[in-house]
Amino acid sequence: MRETKRQMSLYSFYDHTGIEKHLARMAERGWLLCGLGQFLWHYRRIEPRRITFSVCYFPKATIYDPYPSERQEEFYDLCAHAGWTLAGSSGQMQVFYHQGENPTPIDTDPALEVEAIHQSAKKTVLPANFLLLGVAVLNLGLFLWRFWDNPVLTLASGGTLLALVAYTLILVNCTVELCSYFRWRGRARRAAERGEFLPTRSRVWLQRLLLAILLPAGAWCLAGMFQDGLGGLAAVSMLGVIGIIAAVLGVRKLLKGAGVSAKANLRGTLAACVVLSILFAAAIPWLVVRGLNSRPNPRAEELPLSVTDLVEMDPDHYSRWQFRISSPLLALLQVSDYPRIYGEMTHSLRYDVTVVKVPALYGLCRDHYLGGDSRYTPVDPAPWGAQEAYRYVLNGQTLEHYVLCYPHRVVEITLDWTPTAEQMAVVGEKLGRGPL
Amino acid sequence: MPREKFSTLTEQMFYVLLCLREERCGMDILDQVPAMTGGRVSVGSGTLYNLLEQFREEGMIRETRTEGRRRSYLLTESGRRRLAQEYQRIEAQAEDYRRAFGEEDEP
Repeated sequence: MRETKRQMSLYSFYDHTGIEKHLARMAERGWLLCGLGQFLWHYRRIEPRRITFSVCYFPKATIYDPYPSERQEEFYDLCAHAGWTLAGSSGQMQVFYHQGENPTPIDTDPALEVEAIHQSAKKTVLPANFLLLGVAVLNLGLFLWRFWDNPVLTLASGGTLLALVAYTLILVNCTVELCSYFRWRGRARRAAERGEFLPTRSRVWLQRLLLAILLPAGAWCLAGMFQDGLGGLAAVSMLGVIGIIAAVLGVRKLLKGAGVSAKANLRGTLAACVVLSILFAAAIPWLVVRGLNSRPNPRAEELPLSVTDLVEMDPDHYSRWQFRISSPLLALLQVSDYPRIYGEMTHSLRYDVTVVKVPALYGLCRDHYLGGDSRYTPVDPAPWGAQEAYRYVLNGQTLEHYVLCYPHRVVEITLDWTPTAEQMAVVGEKLGRGPL
Repeated sequence: MPREKFSTLTEQMFYVLLCLREERCGMDILDQVPAMTGGRVSVGSGTLYNLLEQFREEGMIRETRTEGRRRSYLLTESGRRRLAQEYQRIEAQAEDYRRAFGEEDEP
C-alpha cells in the first residue's frame, strides 16, 4: 500500500476556499498534505479523519527563500500557539491544518486577508499571468500573420498548430484567471467593508477542460510530425523545453539548498533561464540545418515524381531536395529536382503537393496557389487527369507553371520545358493519385 | 472611496491595542483577547501578525524585547491616543443610543 501520493495542483493561487475544501476531502480519504511543490502537492497516508485546513498568504515570502525568514518563523509560532500546524508552503502560500473542533481561524479580519492575498498575487501570479497573456497574444498575432502570408505552410505544420492550440488555451486561461481574480477581489473588498469574508469560487473544471483539449491535440500534432520524419525535431523541441524547465527549477533548488539569499537565487535562476533559452534557440536552427527537418538529396525512386520519370536522364546527374510536413489538417510535400550542371539537354522540375485532409480547406489551398489574381488562366485539365488545371501567364506569355486540382490534393508544378500529353498523364498519375 | 487606515478601529484592533497597555508578546495577546472579552472576540494568528506589523509601522506600538523569536510590544503614546479616540467614539455612540431609547430601554 502506497504511503505517499502526489497530485497536480489545478487550483488558482488565490482560491483558498477551494484548496481548503479539497485538502479537507483528501484528509477524510486518508491523505494529509505534507508539502507543496512547484506543480505537485505531496500527501502522506493517515487515518481518515476530519481536519480543518487554512490557506494563508505571507507576502514577504518568496519561492527563492533558502529557509523561512525570522518574521515568517514568528508567524508560524503564532499559528502553532493557536493549534495550527504547517502542512506546507510554496512562496507566499502557507497551508496549515488544525485537528481540533471549531478552531479560531488564522485570518479573522477579511480586509487584511484580501490585502495579504493581493500583495502576494502582485508579486507572483499577476505579473506571470499578464506576461503569459502578452506572449500568447504576440504568438497568436504571429500565427495570423503567417497564416495570411502562407496558409498552406502554416496549417500543414503540426508544430505550428500545436503552438496555436497551446497559446489559445493560455490566452483563455490567463484571461479567465485575471478576470476572475479582479472580480473576486472587488467583491471581497466590498464584503470586507461589511466585515464579511467572501469565499472564492473554484475553476478546477476549466483547468481540466484545457488539459483535456491540450493533451490529445498535442499528441495528435506530434504523432503527425513523427510520421513525417520530423519526430527528431519534435522530440528535441519537447525535450529541450522540458529540460530547460527542469534545469531552471534544479538551479533554484540547488541555490536554495546551498543557503544562497533569495535575491542571489533569483538572479542565478534568471541567468540560467536566459542562458539555456538562448542556447536552445540557437540549437534548433543548427539542428534544422544539420538535416533534422528535411531530407536532402533523396534518391530519384524515393520521390513520387522526378525528372527521370518524365524524360530520359541519368539520375546521378541530378540534385534533389524535399521537404515534408503534415498536420491533422494538411500535408505538404515540396520537391526540387535540378541538374548538377546545367546544359542544353538537361531539365529541372519543382513541385508542391498539398494533401487536404479537411475538405473545408480545399478552396483555401487552391486559392492560395492561384494567388487570388488573374495571372492564372484555366486550361484543359484532361491531359493532367485533374478536375481543374490552371497555367501561369505573365505579360501575355504563358509559362510552364501549373496549378492542378485533384480530389483532396492541390499540385503546383513548374517545369523548364513544355510537357507532352504523356508527361502530363504521368504527372497526374504520380502526383494526383499516387502515394506520396 | 477607500477608508483611511485605522480611522475607525475594528473590534480586533481595539482589543489588540488594549492588551498592549502592558508589555506582551503575540502569543499572550492571542490568549488575552478572548480572556478579556469572555470569549466574545478572538483574533486569528495571521490577523494578529498583520496587525502587529501595521501598528508598529504606524508607530502605535513599539517593540520592547526579543527573546529568541518571541517579540514583545507595548502601546506608544500615539497608540494610546488612538485607543482613547476610539473609546470616545464608542462612548458617543452609546450616548446617542441612550438618548434615542432612554435608560430604561437599554438592552
